[in-house]
Amino acid sequence: MTERLDMLGIGKSFFATRALDDVNFSCTAGEVHALVGLNGAGKSTLMKILGGVYQRDEGEIRINNTPVEIAAPADAGRHGIAMIHQELSLIGELTVAGNIFLGKEIRHKGTPFMNKAEMARQVRAQLDRFGLALDPHRPVRELNSGEKQIVEIIRALMSDAWLIVMDEPTSALSEEDKEMLFDFIRRMKAEGIAIIYISHHMPEIFGIAEDVTVMRDGVIVLSERIAETSEDHVIKSMTGAELDQFVKPHKQITGKVVLSVDGLSSPGNYDGVTLGVHEGEIVVLTGLRGCGAPELAKAIFGLDAGYGGEVRYLDKTLKPGRGPAVAVREGMGLVTENRDKNGILPPLSVRDNIALPFLEKTLKGGLIDGARVDSIVAKAIRDTSTKTSSPDQEIRFLSGGNKQKICFSRWLDEDLKLLILLEPTRGIDVHAKADIYRIIEDLAGRGVGILILSYEIDEVLMLGDRVLTMYQGATIHEYAYPHFDKDRMLADMAGAGHTT
Amino acid sequence: MTTTTAAAPPRPRKAMDSLTQRYLVLIGLIVIASVGFSIANDNFYSLANLGILLRSIAVLFLVSMGMTFIMLTGGIDLSVGSNVAFSGGVGVITLTTTGSAPLGFAAAILAGMAIGAVNGVFIGRLRLSAFMVSLATFALARGLALVIYDANSINVSNTTFLWLGGQSWGSIPVVIPFVALVFVALSLVLYRSTFGRDVYAAGSNINTAFVLGRRPERTLVWVYVLSGALAGLSAIITVGRVSSGQPWTGLYLEFDAITAVILGGTSLFGGRGRLLGTILGVLLYGIIINGLVLTGTNPYLQSLIKGLILLGVVLLDTLVQRRQAQ
Repeated sequence: MTERLDMLGIGKSFFATRALDDVNFSCTAGEVHALVGLNGAGKSTLMKILGGVYQRDEGEIRINNTPVEIAAPADAGRHGIAMIHQELSLIGELTVAGNIFLGKEIRHKGTPFMNKAEMARQVRAQLDRFGLALDPHRPVRELNSGEKQIVEIIRALMSDAWLIVMDEPTSALSEEDKEMLFDFIRRMKAEGIAIIYISHHMPEIFGIAEDVTVMRDGVIVLSERIAETSEDHVIKSMTGAELDQFVKPHKQITGKVVLSVDGLSSPGNYDGVTLGVHEGEIVVLTGLRGCGAPELAKAIFGLDAGYGGEVRYLDKTLKPGRGPAVAVREGMGLVTENRDKNGILPPLSVRDNIALPFLEKTLKGGLIDGARVDSIVAKAIRDTSTKTSSPDQEIRFLSGGNKQKICFSRWLDEDLKLLILLEPTRGIDVHAKADIYRIIEDLAGRGVGILILSYEIDEVLMLGDRVLTMYQGATIHEYAYPHFDKDRMLADMAGAGHTT
Repeated sequence: MTTTTAAAPPRPRKAMDSLTQRYLVLIGLIVIASVGFSIANDNFYSLANLGILLRSIAVLFLVSMGMTFIMLTGGIDLSVGSNVAFSGGVGVITLTTTGSAPLGFAAAILAGMAIGAVNGVFIGRLRLSAFMVSLATFALARGLALVIYDANSINVSNTTFLWLGGQSWGSIPVVIPFVALVFVALSLVLYRSTFGRDVYAAGSNINTAFVLGRRPERTLVWVYVLSGALAGLSAIITVGRVSSGQPWTGLYLEFDAITAVILGGTSLFGGRGRLLGTILGVLLYGIIINGLVLTGTNPYLQSLIKGLILLGVVLLDTLVQRRQAQ
């Protein structure tokens, strides 16, 4: 029997924000339907409605042309719809088979004891069916992210799912694991499973999908058979216009040294690092994950106490263990790599999120001058072109890119001397990226020293006035603009020619 | 009480619709409860009873305002009731040994702040669980109170010491304008001082507050010290009201305060809420309890009804929150 899902005229609002408007989306068994769009385009909202996490305001969901109600995630499961989440929902201490049969364990007849052999056999049979080499007895904590996704999918398939929703499944996968996953997806197609595949990556989409639907600002802007469209066309529909191009302005670094770090060491993290940042200069640290650069940057800011060596900032020595408050008071700012963990204040307004670090400067007679706060906040929002309905909006309702801009905008006052940025464009879309590059260059133009940690080589090449490559906690080489050598940098990061 | 609400400083955020809505509901409920009880009992609406009602909840107002600060940081203070007994004891003993009312006042407030500082250092500096730390000081402060009082109450006759809690201007107890004054002062602190913003920041995301250089660990210490100081003030008022210091005073006060704060819409998880809500929460809660007494409800039922109120509010809040999340 051909299974078919139709979402018709779906609409959804969150308070004043229209998240989805008259969205039509369909998929058929045996096919992969790619769903694309920038952050905040409405993909996740649409999928959460399908998964029973959100309730639609308008429209209809049909399965095989019969209207269905999906009021809770359990309803989605009952209709054979399975969501494979980015944050995986497996229990590390249980085995592959134990996770798959969680809550519906097979027991020895007439006893409360589990029949592990039978469970493993059934899982083995499923894995074989899709040509997967995975041991049902292995504990899940030993698996890599690709294998964990496979366990989740197998679990869904064994609960009679016919529609699998995968959200950015390759974001944490190695090349090898990606191939394994694509093979699996092809086999599922052959078995008549329907797949909704959310991704930004054009090669993946054009390699595996039959249909592609592009969303922008809560509406569908393109829905085509893959064979009848092109990568260019999809990208253009995604962004709405031609991409905002960012061009690095030419400049001369003549200012004083803002920050100088001498022989900074922390066992296991970084070792004997010496570097300097001048006024108006953008210094980029790069390497592979685990190279020690983020720990180094945090130590400079005062988030980390256990280091040796010297940090001199504006001709003063900053002692270990002083906490970030000292740095902030002296005009140093930091944008963390994980804004949800330690970048935003979720229940508070955009205004409170921006104003917090410089409240002391707005005091009038010991009290906060609301009008002054408002004008600083309005300027910060304008300068970063942050999209928010008002400064009173709670920050948690903003998209990732806009949250990130707020994490920037709170430092943009005139006393800023040094801004440290950890992975400044992580998890944000191309538009917001271009805005953020522009903000960084504007700041440098104003004479602010900037220290960036980035793992994206293109970003490193685009932003840096000076680039320092790191490997296993040590700086390898320094490159000055325009004498960048991408291949050599990549080799440095990988530790080529490095003797330990 | 209308004078107090009218004196509320400008709200920090205009867009907190859900809180504003809640305040309107609370005001509606206060009106309904007042009308209901005045129909059931002719005395309820008399000016004399209003004075009695407000005086009986004066302490709850103060303690609940301190609790609001704490709950905005995502914490809790179970020790306030015991602290009222302890700091009252210290105040009364100081008064009887020195004969000086100002010294007695100072001693009571400092004693309250000391218990608060213990809470604050363990919770803020050493990052222990607020529930556990204040549960320990809940027992500890009560024990200290019993020790200083030697488990007996001490009569107080110093008129200066009794003035704040005992004196009335006509049918208006002195303590009511005093509570209003504290409310205005604390509102200024919460909405217009950097400390107030730090309270919200610490409760919203303590990691972010730290990264932004706000020293949330200090904020937490001071929030508990503030709650302790308000417990000390409450102790002075309690002693004034009954003309004696009693080791078992303030029993269940932490329960009443937490219920009133939650009733007033402050989030259990920090970062969300306002003092005005707490004022309305205390009023509604006080009217219900007072009304039950006046209508001759079995006093043994009171605790049961209090429990039901708290359970009901938490249930309602959680359900509303889950719906909003959709």
